[in-house]
Amino acid sequence: MRWLLRQLEKDLWSPEVAGIGLGLVYVLALWLANRSPGASGTFFNVAAVVGKPLTAGDPANQFFVSMFPPVTEGLGWQFWMVAGIFFGALASVLIGRHFRLTWMPVEQWKDVFGGAVWKRWVIAFIGGVILQIGAGIAGGCTSGLALAGGVQLSPAAFLFIPGIFISGAIVQLLVYRNKY
Amino acid sequence: MTLTIPDILIALGVGFIFGWVLDKGGLNRYYKIANVFRFTDLTVLRFMMTGMLVGMVGIYTLRHFGLLNLTAVTATALAGNFIGGAVFGVGMALSGFCPGTCIAGIARGQLDYLIPGLLGFLTGGLIFGALYRTDLIQWLITAGRPELAYAKLPEILGVEPLLLAFVFSEAILIFLYVVARTHARRPDDLEKVVEHERVLAGLEESQPQAIGD
Repeated sequence: MRWLLRQLEKDLWSPEVAGIGLGLVYVLALWLANRSPGASGTFFNVAAVVGKPLTAGDPANQFFVSMFPPVTEGLGWQFWMVAGIFFGALASVLIGRHFRLTWMPVEQWKDVFGGAVWKRWVIAFIGGVILQIGAGIAGGCTSGLALAGGVQLSPAAFLFIPGIFISGAIVQLLVYRNKY
Repeated sequence: MTLTIPDILIALGVGFIFGWVLDKGGLNRYYKIANVFRFTDLTVLRFMMTGMLVGMVGIYTLRHFGLLNLTAVTATALAGNFIGGAVFGVGMALSGFCPGTCIAGIARGQLDYLIPGLLGFLTGGLIFGALYRTDLIQWLITAGRPELAYAKLPEILGVEPLLLAFVFSEAILIFLYVVARTHARRPDDLEKVVEHERVLAGLEESQPQAIGD
């Protein structure tokens, strides 16, 4: 019992142990609900709430209409799944007493980008924009394409993953330069 | 068709485990994501590969016994999947998060995930939607799309699905084994380096005391 509590309070588990849980997430979702968890779709749904009225009568409207909630029953499911991600992470953080309000990453960021909060916020924002556009082009993100596709042996996932790593490595080579 | 209460509870429960392991895996921290692209901390890869191993064996075994059906997931499009991934990787390396880990990062109290992160996704979603009808985006999402765009690898290769799942999982096992032998025990991630340096500094300070004891 004490051992279990100590494990639950830990800040980090071995990636393999946490990874077993990740695999179970995809098995359970497919088995119990016939779904593949994915996060980026929900952000498109939120964007559609803003974008649909803005683009009325415009060709761009087509995308927002198709993404406007609730198009299909699947939409709501992914929303609740994303809400679950928040509560699951929150439970882990609170049990371990690791909750801390921070304006920027505690580790490593400052060594590379300096201590300015605005710089972190600008890069986090631009990063978010690029991530969502990339997810749109590819047809999903790390959860909804790389993992959901990977576990089902979908070729799309095995095209997506190398794409991420090639460009990610090039970006870090440019950002970290001699520290790479 | 609307969701029933059990549907919502399953979605919340699955998400809950997801969020839990994202936090315990450390995936909702900048340095973990940033360093996998420097190949100095392979946590993200080890986490994802283990997840895929368990997932594909579990899913294809249950499917073999007729207990579940696969879903359509994402259409294969040679250009879109790869180029989309390359665009995605730029954002992931810069920000140190992705859509799912950003949500899990908010739960740690990281305001840079909550405000610019979420606003970035929303803005990116609006930009993608506005550009959706352009020739470039239409080309990207359709170029190199095979006739059976939703077919899975076993179907394409004409191999027994469960067998292929085991072949893939063997490859992942070998990968995890090699990583464990070469990378996992090196003090390669920053946390361990900092800890290591502290121990070294602490040892130097405490040596005279140890002798005194």
